Amino acid sequence: MTQSSIPIRRILMRMIFLASGVVLAVTTTAFFAYELLTFRQSSVQQLQILSQAIASNSTAALAFDNADDAAGVMGAFKADPHIAAAALYDVHGKLFATYPRGLPAARLPANPGMPGYSFGRNSLIGFEPVAEGARQLGTLYVDSDLGLMYARIRLYALIVFLVIGISLPLAYFISRRLQHQLLRPILALADTTRAVSERHDYTVRAARTGAYEFDLFTDTFNHMLMQIQQSEGKLHAQLGRLSLLQHITRATGERQDLPSIFQVLLVSLEANLPMDFGCVLLHDAAAQSLTVSALGASGRSYADKLGLAEHTSVPLDANGLSRCVAGHLVYEPDVLETPFPFPQELAAAGLRSMVIAPLIVENHVFGVLLCARGGEHAFSSGECEFLKQLSEHVALASHQARLYGALQQAYDDLRQSQHAVMQQERLRALGQMASGIAHDINNAISPVSLYTESLLEREPNLSARARGYLTTIQRAIEDVARTVARMREFYREREAQLTLERVDLNRAVRQIIELTRPRWSDQPQQRGLMIDLKTELQDSLPDIMGADNEIRDALTNLIFNAVDAMPAGGTLTVGTRRGADGDGSDRVLIDVSDTGVGMDEDTRRRCLEPFFTTKGERGTGLGLAMVYGMIQRHSAELDIQSAAGKGTTVTLSFPAFTSSAVSVNTMINRPALTRRLRILLVDDDPMLIKSLQDALQDDGHQITATHGGQAGIDAFAAAQKRGETPDLVITDLGMPHVDGRKVASSIKMLSATTPVILLTGWGQRLAAENDIPPHVDRLLSKPPRLHELRAALAELAP
Amino acid sequence: MAVLRRVLPALLCVALVLTACLRAARGAEAPGEYQVKAVFVYNFSHFVDWPPQAFSAPDQPFVIGILGDDPFGTRMDETVRGEQIDRHPLSVRRLSSIGDIGDCQILYIGRSESARLPQILAALNHRSTLTVSDLDGSAQRGVMMEFLTENNRIRLRINVDAARAAGLTISSKLLRPAEIVATRTKD
Repeated sequence: MTQSSIPIRRILMRMIFLASGVVLAVTTTAFFAYELLTFRQSSVQQLQILSQAIASNSTAALAFDNADDAAGVMGAFKADPHIAAAALYDVHGKLFATYPRGLPAARLPANPGMPGYSFGRNSLIGFEPVAEGARQLGTLYVDSDLGLMYARIRLYALIVFLVIGISLPLAYFISRRLQHQLLRPILALADTTRAVSERHDYTVRAARTGAYEFDLFTDTFNHMLMQIQQSEGKLHAQLGRLSLLQHITRATGERQDLPSIFQVLLVSLEANLPMDFGCVLLHDAAAQSLTVSALGASGRSYADKLGLAEHTSVPLDANGLSRCVAGHLVYEPDVLETPFPFPQELAAAGLRSMVIAPLIVENHVFGVLLCARGGEHAFSSGECEFLKQLSEHVALASHQARLYGALQQAYDDLRQSQHAVMQQERLRALGQMASGIAHDINNAISPVSLYTESLLEREPNLSARARGYLTTIQRAIEDVARTVARMREFYREREAQLTLERVDLNRAVRQIIELTRPRWSDQPQQRGLMIDLKTELQDSLPDIMGADNEIRDALTNLIFNAVDAMPAGGTLTVGTRRGADGDGSDRVLIDVSDTGVGMDEDTRRRCLEPFFTTKGERGTGLGLAMVYGMIQRHSAELDIQSAAGKGTTVTLSFPAFTSSAVSVNTMINRPALTRRLRILLVDDDPMLIKSLQDALQDDGHQITATHGGQAGIDAFAAAQKRGETPDLVITDLGMPHVDGRKVASSIKMLSATTPVILLTGWGQRLAAENDIPPHVDRLLSKPPRLHELRAALAELAP
Repeated sequence: MAVLRRVLPALLCVALVLTACLRAARGAEAPGEYQVKAVFVYNFSHFVDWPPQAFSAPDQPFVIGILGDDPFGTRMDETVRGEQIDRHPLSVRRLSSIGDIGDCQILYIGRSESARLPQILAALNHRSTLTVSDLDGSAQRGVMMEFLTENNRIRLRINVDAARAAGLTISSKLLRPAEIVATRTKD
């Protein structure tokens, strides 16, 4: 209600007052007018009657000229105090008698007027003929003042005021009483409407008052309120469902994997729709069945009754499921009426109504959402519509999750590839560096190796002590050479062809266990720990084709990792066994198991990445990466089973050796040295030249040593001119300005038949890169070993 | 003296004219006693009802008889000339003997008839004739209407019994200004 509007009570009061006031005014005016009119008439009549009586009684006085008697007769006017004056005139118009007596003649008309009565300014004047029979005897003049009339008017005015004064308050009180009756229902309705509009409470109802029209009004109003309440309820439910839809949409949008999307969908629906049982089934078009993908948590008891669990398959027949799979929303108000196995099972489990909504992506139904309630006809059309919309949203979210998964997979692959590339680059740099270092070390230890071997071989008179020392030196040199060689293992990815040989894995395992004993036995014992090592080696295991050293390195790494994973001790098990892969071919497997800390999922996923380590500063992150590289080069397989706290088992699976595999490495028999040779020695390292020269001269060969490539070529040419062409040329590969390759090619140009042996600190690498230069007949790595050198000489220059 | 001779006839003429004028004025101012009485007699005809048997025919004249000396002269005749009472034309008759009074509706008995009054009244016995006289005490003697003069004004003395006995009805209005008397029987 606005401030300016007038309350209905006041309007009614005004109307009543106006109406009653007008009625009163009209009534009193009419009364007044009527009274005045009739009063005038009655005044005239009364005066006339009085005058006629007086006139009649005056006839004798006039007839017989008795003025006293006439005056006496007119004395009767005293009865009317308003008769101001009266007079009798005789038939000649002469004044005969007056009333009151002695009234001055000036107060009276000089002559009698025509008979009749008329109102003057303040008086009623009448002339009445005085006649006896037909004979007129005179005229009576009467003058009545209007005091009576004025008195009457005053009385009437008083009455009117009294009437108004009484009737208006009376009207006020009566109308108040009556208004109350009239207004009570209206005000009650107004209160109700106010309550409704202020509190938005549509549950209030206006009370009936018993008056028909108002009750009709009230009933209509209540009916309207009821409808509003119903609409509001529907709106509320709709809003609730919208909110639920939004909640679920958001929740599913935040999740990127299907199980968690379905789970949050079912949990939300169970809590908020609500429903008694819900599940999501995925469509398997090939098997013509639906597979349960997710079950609602609170509907588990129903699921148990139905015998449904995750991955349970539900066959598609002509029931609602197949209609749903065809893309329709299916609502079964009462599943009892549906004569198919699945609905009947639902009914048996106590679920009477169900809604099945299809999950459609790109016109393809990939699954259905099933919602069920215990009661029949339990789903409203609004809820069906809601479930339909929801299923579209969920389908979209699922589709997005799938897309996201695929994208994530692609991204992970890409990242892994990027890592691998980076790793390779890094390893390449490392490898190059390692190769350089290895070259220098090989160069440096070459004289030591040559002289030691030479001494042990040619000096029979050495004391036992000296021989022992020299043997130790030789062993140490060999260790250094092996270490340098291992260092170069860092960078082997590019090797196009692997030097494969038959490897007995059991033997390799035994050797490695012995070699690593200090690590798994001695060092832990120093810290008071006990690592129990078990070997479970299967007998009569087939050989495999592989690089023995790589396999040993891989096993070593695996054992070190296992020991590191057991900081508090434990059991380390290394086993070998026979296996078979999918197509039936034999495989040989090595298991390395520990009872250590294990790896969590993330670690397990990343453990093969280069430079990924859990050992902090102690680890390089290359151990398993090298194992993985070996596995790839051997066409083998790697499997890691691990869980946090449950230990780790690494299984390497190699294809078993078959006769078709060819050994590329054959043992070379050491040939006997037959003759003395003219040998040209080309190197830039005087130490090496000296030691090699000494060793070869000791064997009886004629050595021409030159320093540098160009010097070597010149010496060869000079010797050729002299007719002393060397039988064989040994040249270093890495030399400034003119390297071993140029030397070899120049020699071959001068004498195509002269064999060239290339000595290199990079020898292995060249071999690996298939980079043996043309014109080189044999490649020998540094440090050169005498027996290798002799074998090469014997072979190339028989 | 010559002046007197010339003025005297003129003075006489003026005196004559003045006298004539004064007389004329007096005659117009105050009607004579019998003029009034004539009107009164006429007026009686309005205040008194005569029984129907008083007239033998509907157009029989209403007769006012004057018995004895006639004090009215022509005044009575002038007063009633042309008047009618209920289609009865009025007529005045001067009567000399009692035997003539039989047809009168009103009989004025002159002063000269005082002695014969009982005979007159006896002669009118039970006839519907209104008797009028200005003899003193005539009302007590059986006359219905007696004029008497009081303070120069003419008053009426009425013997209602006599009138009732004659079958006449006198209007009560007439009784108001009059003095009512009864017939005084002789001792």
